[in-house]
Amino acid sequence: MNIHFKLSSAMLNHVIGDLVRPHPFAAERAGFIGCKVSRSREGILILGHTYMTLQDNWYTDDQRYGCFFNADAMRAAMQFALTNDASMFHVHMHEHMGLPWFSRIDLRESSKFVPDFWNVRPNLPHGTLVVSKDSAAGLCWYPSENKPNRISRITAVGFPMKFLERLT
Amino acid sequence: MNGRFSRQSFLGANSEFLFRSVRAAIVGLGGGGSHIAQHSAHVGIGRFALFDPDTTEFPNLNRTVGATFEDAISKTPKVIVAERMIKGINPYAEVWPMQLEWQKDFESLRACDVVFGCLDGFSRRAQLEESCRRAMIPLIDIGMDVHKGEPYSISGQVVVSMPEKPCFKCLGFIRDKDLDDEGRRYGEAGGNPQVVWSNGVLASTAVGIFIQLLAPWCPISPGSAFLGYDGDRFTLEHDARFAVGVNHNCEHFGSIGDLGDPFWKP
Repeated sequence: MNIHFKLSSAMLNHVIGDLVRPHPFAAERAGFIGCKVSRSREGILILGHTYMTLQDNWYTDDQRYGCFFNADAMRAAMQFALTNDASMFHVHMHEHMGLPWFSRIDLRESSKFVPDFWNVRPNLPHGTLVVSKDSAAGLCWYPSENKPNRISRITAVGFPMKFLERLT
Repeated sequence: MNGRFSRQSFLGANSEFLFRSVRAAIVGLGGGGSHIAQHSAHVGIGRFALFDPDTTEFPNLNRTVGATFEDAISKTPKVIVAERMIKGINPYAEVWPMQLEWQKDFESLRACDVVFGCLDGFSRRAQLEESCRRAMIPLIDIGMDVHKGEPYSISGQVVVSMPEKPCFKCLGFIRDKDLDDEGRRYGEAGGNPQVVWSNGVLASTAVGIFIQLLAPWCPISPGSAFLGYDGDRFTLEHDARFAVGVNHNCEHFGSIGDLGDPFWKP
């Protein structure tokens, strides 16, 4: 399945600006992007609209993880999905140049919490993104599919257009 | 970078690959859209979606780039004329020629990275802008008019509608009054005067804006633009309305419900 994730350049800058902020104890930050979905001739479009920053007290101090958020964070994200009929994408950052990818822990944990969004919005795809300083990658769980699909295109729309990931 | 694009290497080492992978929609393949198709093919754009239900007629030959006398006799669809021209310049281009109104194939439009709007009328422009906003696609609109009077006067515009930036209404390009007036005139027949040279100026500028969005050669942002063309004085300048509208926070397309497919089903 061909999946194209789009967000505005302004939102990308906002996301990166939020994620690079130091946290009192967590090694990295995370957030959620509330999205809408559409269909195109080449697959589906995921359209980022609202960035939801995680409050400092929504992180759990667990040294096994760079970032571990608590139930309040998930509750807020699920409420956003429910209220806005939104597709939800978790996002975090690896602070380097070039194409990023998920760690084994990222993959294991996201495969647990991302499908939870189907409890409130079962007909929508949900997923996770990892951004670097100049690129991004993502996984998308499509309804009724157990395994995630790699997002084939990620585009920041603005001036200039940034094609962060382009597999097709 | 092969030799073909060596004269535009200043656009960046990756520009050839980037242009090849980008899909541009051209909505309306008349005087403006045919120019845009030709220019985009020359610059190396590799994927196209072309929308126009019309066939070539003799009155089109004064301005439709690529159309021939034979096309007018055989009434060749305009999208086929454009496809032939694009493939003549770049045989490897992937072209979707759709001889229909763009509203009948939303999914093809949504697959595009940028849309060129070359339509007549405010309501059709407003509809196209809404569809582009729903899929977060930058829309570059061009249009021209020859105004009847003593003497005649030529004017036109290039307007960029960028997602999350001021829309046509914010920029003052489309006003409710224009839509109302047009609605009252609905059904009136008549082909407006059109000429090749002013279409060419506007189309070339639109393609320049497109390339500046993809591979900027300087830091001046065309992210939002409203350029007015004075075809009598041969000038193209920022429209006075742009200065007022450019700092608007768009209230017409701001909510999450303005994005995506309202009737989405997996």
